Amino acid sequence: MKTILAVDDSATMREMVAFVLESAGYRVIEAEDGAQGLDRATASSVDLVITDQNMPNMDGLTLVRSLRELRDYKNVPILLLTTESSDTMKAQGRAAGATGWLVKPFDPATLLEVVQKVLR
Amino acid sequence: MNQTQAGPAEANDAEQAADLLVTVASTLNERLAVTARELARSQAMLREASEELMTAFRGAADRIVAAQREDVADHGGKNQQYGPVLDHLYRAVQHLQSHDLVNQLIDAQKLRVDKMREKLLEALSLASPPIAEGAQAGQWIERSRAMLDCIVAGIAQIDADGRLPRSDAKHAGSVDLF
Repeated sequence: MKTILAVDDSATMREMVAFVLESAGYRVIEAEDGAQGLDRATASSVDLVITDQNMPNMDGLTLVRSLRELRDYKNVPILLLTTESSDTMKAQGRAAGATGWLVKPFDPATLLEVVQKVLR
Repeated sequence: MNQTQAGPAEANDAEQAADLLVTVASTLNERLAVTARELARSQAMLREASEELMTAFRGAADRIVAAQREDVADHGGKNQQYGPVLDHLYRAVQHLQSHDLVNQLIDAQKLRVDKMREKLLEALSLASPPIAEGAQAGQWIERSRAMLDCIVAGIAQIDADGRLPRSDAKHAGSVDLF
């Protein structure tokens, strides 16, 4: 069973993401900001990270950069799931090492398609 | 008009301008107080509705995920009967996200209003110390300038908050894979 780390400061959003992924057979671990996400990622083996951008303590792009510095996370897919949709932000995401950018609110079927694709 | 007559007239104009600024700042502050209350009331109603919906959703979601797991454990495969139920729950997921995003937007607007009110109150406090009878125009102008600087700083800090959520319906649900 693949493990996915869902990072978002909104408990509702984490719950929505977790439900959609668990209903498709994935195991989900949650974190409420980038700093906690980094802790969780280093404490467990994660196959995919899905993170929000605007969060207290550590934002999504900083989390992506921090994870890419870790040997275990050089090739792990990381998706940004955020309300931010500007080309500038997406370019920053790509430069930071993110695998993809999804804009909220997400469509569950689309999220599952993307997850399957990046985990392949 | 000679210098000795122009001084008090200018001072009088400057005093009136400063008074006008105080009136504008206090009126704006009162209006923003009403806006803050209305935002808080709207948010409370939305939050209550969202919590009820989330409780109902959570009950259904937990049950179906547990049933799916039992089914996989018992029969080693997925039962097709869950498909239609999941479709309904997936549609609920999209709408519940919107509730959450609206909540975040209201939070952000409340923050903006509160920050602006803080600066308006700060500006009004600058108008409190009395200015002596027969003061020069320059003293009134200095006071007005300080109040305006404070209000402008309030406007600037509203836009400077990078954590305010952006709402962009056009791109909602879009995907870019790099």
